Amino acid sequence: MTGFLIAALGLGVSLGIYLAMAAAPAESFQSPELARIVFFHLPCALISSLFLVLGAAFAAARLVKGGAAWDRRSHACIEIAFVFGLLALATGIIFSKVQWGAYWSWDPRQTSFLLVMLIVGAYFALRSAFADEARRGAVSAAYALASLLPILFLVFVYPRIVTTLHPDVVREGGFDNEYRVVFLVNLAAILGVAAWLYNLRVRCASLESNLEETLARLADRDRPAAVGVVRPVSLSSED
Amino acid sequence: MSSGWGSEIAALLAKEVRAELRGRSGLLTALLFNVAAIVAASFASSAQGMPAFGIAAMLWVILLFAAVVALPRAFLVEEEQGTGDLLRLWARPHSVFWGKALYNLGLMLLTGALLSALYLLLSGQTVERPALYVACLLGGCAALAGSTTLCGAFVAQASNRFALAGAVALPLLVPLLAVTVTGTASAFGAGSAESAERAAAGLWAYAVATFAMGPYLFAAVWKS
Amino acid sequence: MLAVEGLGKRFGPVSVFRGLEFSVGLGDGLLVLGPNGSGKSTLLRILGGLLAPTEGSVRWEGDPRTSLGYSALDLAVYPHLTVQEHFLLAGRLRGCDPRADDLTEGFGLAGHKEHFASKLSSGLRSRLKLALSVQSRPSLLLLDEPGVGLDEAGLSLLDRVCAEQRERGALVVATNDPKERRLGSHELRLGE
Repeated sequence: MTGFLIAALGLGVSLGIYLAMAAAPAESFQSPELARIVFFHLPCALISSLFLVLGAAFAAARLVKGGAAWDRRSHACIEIAFVFGLLALATGIIFSKVQWGAYWSWDPRQTSFLLVMLIVGAYFALRSAFADEARRGAVSAAYALASLLPILFLVFVYPRIVTTLHPDVVREGGFDNEYRVVFLVNLAAILGVAAWLYNLRVRCASLESNLEETLARLADRDRPAAVGVVRPVSLSSED
Repeated sequence: MSSGWGSEIAALLAKEVRAELRGRSGLLTALLFNVAAIVAASFASSAQGMPAFGIAAMLWVILLFAAVVALPRAFLVEEEQGTGDLLRLWARPHSVFWGKALYNLGLMLLTGALLSALYLLLSGQTVERPALYVACLLGGCAALAGSTTLCGAFVAQASNRFALAGAVALPLLVPLLAVTVTGTASAFGAGSAESAERAAAGLWAYAVATFAMGPYLFAAVWKS
Repeated sequence: MLAVEGLGKRFGPVSVFRGLEFSVGLGDGLLVLGPNGSGKSTLLRILGGLLAPTEGSVRWEGDPRTSLGYSALDLAVYPHLTVQEHFLLAGRLRGCDPRADDLTEGFGLAGHKEHFASKLSSGLRSRLKLALSVQSRPSLLLLDEPGVGLDEAGLSLLDRVCAEQRERGALVVATNDPKERRLGSHELRLGE
């Protein structure tokens, strides 16, 4: 990523933080200053969901087209989704305490997001159990696709069919115009950070793979790997 | 001579049943564990005067663990005893999946029917909407069977596969619990008939989706 | 029958073999030789479609279920199925004639048809695996250490199977046993 883009991202993040911490009025919240964390909580949750879906899309590409590159992209997306999911949970827990008086109230949206993180955690556990790269990639991709249905249900369906403390600000427009601007700026900034991290992660994974291959070739120079030559069998006279 | 899909799947299903009946130790152990769990749950629920929702929750937690412990074995045992390669050499991936999945489906339906009947008997819980109860029970068991079969296939060639099977399957199945418990509780009379109908429809839809995409996901990992 | 191009297999940073290129046609018997750890079994598993290569490709003709036969030392059989049931199951899955009677007679298993595979000696299990590998009369037969555990009669049987196979198609044998060099016409040495 060029220096200009990094600088622009830095400015965007700074602006988002300023708007959230200083510019947006927060009098309607129970504990106004701490409640401002909601401007980071919601973008983290949305970005986590987005990257989970992207990860599943790359997983489908891995299964259809094969190749380690698609696996690296899928894995990177799911890692980013996990990180931002944990941030969403953490900020949500703080907001829950300051707004509703309890860190954890088994609110359906809170609970469903926790379950999503458990599913993603299982993805990493599954991945770590395979040493062979091809098998690891195939199984991870298959699991990412198999888990898409429960994840979509947990994120988009379940919180809308039960009573929840979470307002559906995206669909029902619970945000005032001022809040909406702050939210959108932070969403753009955090999305930029997530995209940057994804790019770094994919490049890192690609370099790791190249390194492994180079080490293998260097080892082959000292101990040549079996490169066979087919020769006719020379039978002895007793045959 | 060529055999169709049906013949291949039937052959695999027959092999599963035969091997399990002859081996027996897996089935008996699972049965003993499940019955003991039902007795413990019934005792707890009757002693506390547990409401219908709690009884439904206990039943489905036991069925969930019954599925997670027993069903992935269909694939895990193949790799443990080293016969996975035989299947890879002889059979098409879709046949293998369907043979194992149908075996697990039969086993889970039987387990669900037995355990739920025993639990209702011991807990004294009445069922106000029997048809919806059966629909939720069968749909939930089918969904559990499909998901755990797939999870078993995923972890079969992994290290520490038996422990990993539970770790991978449980998070996927817990969301299913919410629907099964709601539907079953409504069938007991603790909710509306519409709620039970929606739950049953959702469970069957999940089961169908899992069995529909299962063979394709399985084929991708079987010979990777 | 079999074409291999640029085949390589790596486990993490450890390269087992790379750059293998060869083809096997009608009447060929390829011996895969090499010291322990040189990748003979890994190569055969890749040729049999049981393991994916890291690079390169393997091409064989026809449906691998019937055109490919495979037998290896570490290939297990079902402990709770009888000898007869193995042939019937394999026949139904492959879509070929089970030939249970022919094969049990021909491989000296006639007296063990109703015995569970878990009750067979290791030599008889090797015969069972060999018989299963040729059930569909494959055009390509892959054998990994086929002589291990076989008695004299079993070794004669192995010779006959390999000779018949080379008349029908092609054969690839991975072995450490110098005496088994008689089974092939060409050799591929790994690890040298």
